[in-house]
Amino acid sequence: MTRIRFDHRPFSRVTRALVAGLGLVLLSGCKLADIFDLSGNQSTMLTAGPVAKAQWDLFMITVYVCTFIFVVVGAILAYTQIKFRARSESDEHAEPPPEAHGNPFVEIGLIAASVALLVIIAIPTLRDIWYTHDVPEDEKGNAMEVVATGYQWWFKFEYPTELVKLPNGGEAPLVTGNELVVPAGTPIRVQLRTIDVIHSFWVPKLAGKVDMMPNRANFLWFKADKPGYYYGQCAEFCGESHAIMRFRVIALSPRDYSQWLENQKSPARTVTPALLANAADRSAHVQFAAMKLKAGEALAASPAFDADPLNAWREMQHPEAGEDAQLIAQGRQLFSAKTCVSCHSIRGHEGVGISGPDLTRVGARSTIAAGVLENTRERMHAWIKNPNHFKPGNKMWFGGYNVKDGDDWKPNFTVNDQEIDALVAYLHSLK
Amino acid sequence: MAEVIAQSGFTGKQTAQPATTFSLFPRPTAKTGIVSWLTTVDHKKIGMLYGGFAILFFLIGGIEALMIRTQLMVPNNRFISAQLYSELFTMHGTTMIFLAVMPLNAAFFNLLIPIQVGARDVAFPRLNSFSLWVWVVGAILLNVGWISHFVPSWNFGGAPDIGWFGYAPLTSKSFTPDLSTDFWVLGIQVLGISSIVASLNFIVTIINLRAPGLTMMRLPVFTWMALVTSFLLVLALPAIAIALIMVMFDRNFGTNFFEVSGGGQPILWQHLFWVFGHPEVYILILPPMGYVSEILPTFARKPLFGYPIVVFSGVAIGFIGFGVWSHHMFTTGLGTVATAAFALATMAIAVPTGVKVFNWIGTLWGGRIVTRVPMMFALGFIWMFMMGGLSGIMHSAAPADAQQQDSYFVIAHFHYVLIGGATFALLAAIHFWFPKFFGRMVPEFWGKVSFWVIFVGFNATFFPMHFLGLNGMPRRTWTYDSNMGWNEGNLFATYGAYLLGLGIFTYFAVLVWSYFKGEKCGNDPWDARTLEWSIPSPPPEHNFAAIPTVHARDAWWYEKTHKAEIAQEKAAHIKAEESHGGIHMPDQSWYPLFAAIGLLVGGYNFAQLHHPVTMFGQQVLASHLPLAITGLGLMVASCYLWALEGPGGYHLHIDAEGKVTESRGDHH
Repeated sequence: MTRIRFDHRPFSRVTRALVAGLGLVLLSGCKLADIFDLSGNQSTMLTAGPVAKAQWDLFMITVYVCTFIFVVVGAILAYTQIKFRARSESDEHAEPPPEAHGNPFVEIGLIAASVALLVIIAIPTLRDIWYTHDVPEDEKGNAMEVVATGYQWWFKFEYPTELVKLPNGGEAPLVTGNELVVPAGTPIRVQLRTIDVIHSFWVPKLAGKVDMMPNRANFLWFKADKPGYYYGQCAEFCGESHAIMRFRVIALSPRDYSQWLENQKSPARTVTPALLANAADRSAHVQFAAMKLKAGEALAASPAFDADPLNAWREMQHPEAGEDAQLIAQGRQLFSAKTCVSCHSIRGHEGVGISGPDLTRVGARSTIAAGVLENTRERMHAWIKNPNHFKPGNKMWFGGYNVKDGDDWKPNFTVNDQEIDALVAYLHSLK
Repeated sequence: MAEVIAQSGFTGKQTAQPATTFSLFPRPTAKTGIVSWLTTVDHKKIGMLYGGFAILFFLIGGIEALMIRTQLMVPNNRFISAQLYSELFTMHGTTMIFLAVMPLNAAFFNLLIPIQVGARDVAFPRLNSFSLWVWVVGAILLNVGWISHFVPSWNFGGAPDIGWFGYAPLTSKSFTPDLSTDFWVLGIQVLGISSIVASLNFIVTIINLRAPGLTMMRLPVFTWMALVTSFLLVLALPAIAIALIMVMFDRNFGTNFFEVSGGGQPILWQHLFWVFGHPEVYILILPPMGYVSEILPTFARKPLFGYPIVVFSGVAIGFIGFGVWSHHMFTTGLGTVATAAFALATMAIAVPTGVKVFNWIGTLWGGRIVTRVPMMFALGFIWMFMMGGLSGIMHSAAPADAQQQDSYFVIAHFHYVLIGGATFALLAAIHFWFPKFFGRMVPEFWGKVSFWVIFVGFNATFFPMHFLGLNGMPRRTWTYDSNMGWNEGNLFATYGAYLLGLGIFTYFAVLVWSYFKGEKCGNDPWDARTLEWSIPSPPPEHNFAAIPTVHARDAWWYEKTHKAEIAQEKAAHIKAEESHGGIHMPDQSWYPLFAAIGLLVGGYNFAQLHHPVTMFGQQVLASHLPLAITGLGLMVASCYLWALEGPGGYHLHIDAEGKVTESRGDHH
């Protein structure tokens, strides 16, 4: 009989100690604890509503059961590896152990134990499948319906029960983009639609995702326990800029919500010189050449914003100091001249387009470009200057700034820095 | 009864019929050199080619992964563009599944199945060669788009960028108008042809060519898992084939299977894709379970614990694997009842999987565990596969999965299954069978170094991803903002990926060194248990001088303990075989290669069907249709000539000293 050939043990104790030491140094160099931190803006652990909480609690049940299995089976495996390890050459050369082929009682016992453990997971799973599916019966009367529609790469939100007057005398549901504002404490049933490919609506702190499928009437529900500012993101690959198709959900107290609603329903704000109380504010006008980002700074929120996002969002609802009526008027004129109006609506002003986000109150939103950039004047300037830099493949760049010419793209219009300043002033006046 | 059989002509006693054969070329007979590889029908050479190409693509897929990790190393990174990122993650997934793990498994199917069943080749040797070359064609079609990045005039729109799952309607011409999706559709389709043909070949080989005494319940577990895998492939691939044809028709001929504006249903694609896609997961992992089930008994020096249970649980996984596909679709709005049914089925499949782990531990229990490198990878497999399996159970809780679906938690889960599981087992298998097929050992020290680097690098890469996912990071995202709490996890994972890459590089560098300089070894360097270790390393062309008779489950182990009995038996077999004209070997052939080239020409041109053909900037043809038909014609003609050529064959004769002589007679 051939023998297994033996080498001397390949690693000495010294080598092992060195490797272990090196590993520890590497680990301590990184902020190891941060890797396991679950307190991010899209944490599934820091839940803010009953749906997400049910999902996290169920997840923890699976964690307990699976950890139990891992510890028990792992302990047996580790014991086996240590206990039955051939420790010396003579051990390895020893007669092989007696041939044994298995034991039916052990097998059946283990199968039964596995099934029992799975039942522990199965029961709450079934309960929560029904609970998370739709608004519970006893809360249905209280629930509010909104329609969320995915576009490459932004979200449109409609309030089917909140009608606004149109210039032609008709009525249509209130429309916003990329920021869904809802009352806290009210179950929200979101109808999920898409205009193009599959997207997915995911606000981790409020509820797990459900896909926006073409030709399919999907929906989900959530409830925000208390007012707050929640991050969301598309969770199904939807093309080039999928990674930067983001949105926010802002939950307000019922009173704040109805105030917000009232303001939203009125036509776009028009700034006239008479409206500006203090003409001296003109001095506050600044030219914005380019956006500068400090190393490591987030695109979508400055540290000041992140410190208290809900309050920062509230601040944005009020007209800004330093408005320049003349510049705003120039911006409004450019908004038509540069054909922005053909894709964007500004209710009460010129815009009528529906293929881009509704901008009636864009100045009051905390982010632009679908949750990608904080809505500061500098960042809006940078966005308008080169949208393709922030959102590759977007339709404002391909279709607006540039149009198709055979298989190639040719420039349609350009905007210079002064024009962008005017556009920014106009858009930021829309509160 | 005997008379009926005699009349049916199935007794094998007929005299040879003079067959009409015709060939355009003389049949190739070269035993070495490039022609021998291009025309080979030897399952070992075909296995080597599969393995070589697969390792090449494994490294390419790895480089793609490292580029992805580099892009995600820091927030708001601009290392690569969003478009290139989409291409990289699409091709990383497609490559690792279809061009690395599947063909590596195919390599071992080819290398091991005929020997483990005591045969001299697969049932249809030329068809086997066809499978290989068709697979190469599929690999070329999938990767041809990369050329666009280097030669802009070849405007294929880059590599495919729709994800390995190609969800409709993103594959529609409205959203991906360029050719990359057409190449992806045809590439996967062609790979499917290769897999179906190969699987049928292996099924027939395993069922029909078993040596005397090798009953199904004596079959080595690896061969059993290969059989189950082959059935899964044959049954699962038609679903994706149909779905791909639908996409092809939508894109080229104006049908509306998935075209939303025409009332198409994108959800249909997902069902068809995952009816294939979930069994595919088991197609990837069952063969690795087979390797481990061979390696553990060898180094524990004990037979496999609970052989029948391990086999039946493999079969059960195969069956249940067809009933859980919608757990990939828990967030698509299936409704409560369907979600509940698929959640429970998914939990059920955990049972046979768990049973396998229990039996592997049972195999180790009471053994003498010799920790050579293959054993270390095999033990690493059990540990890592347990982690991947348990996070899989977490996904079966559908409401919790609504948070994890399409997040980095899922990435962590399936990389624990596919790297910690499948790849660890494949690395174990390569190290274990390398001496058999190259006659040289891989040095222990460097093997162990690579194991530890891979083990640490792998866990450093993927363990943090569980937390990234729970912290809300979605997958397939080109970049992320810096205020999401994902910075440290991503940075750490990227360092881990570099370490993993270093480990993989070390592993294969050591293999290359061993090929030239490794210490030579005999038949059975590991004191193993199955038939491949009974023949020389590397095995001769005919594998067995005498077809073995199998008396027990671990056939070679039995032979080693019953030498006298076996020697007598073998002498009798050699004599009997010589009286029938010697060992019959199949002839090489050009036609499988030519048929595959026809498919390449046809596929390459069909993908660009509606585009004009240009040469030196001049349009020479209005569409690629004539060229596509030419390719199809070449394939049909090659198949026809392949049939006309006849099976051919020659005989080997082994004399008392073991000297082999070749004869070409009138036997066909």
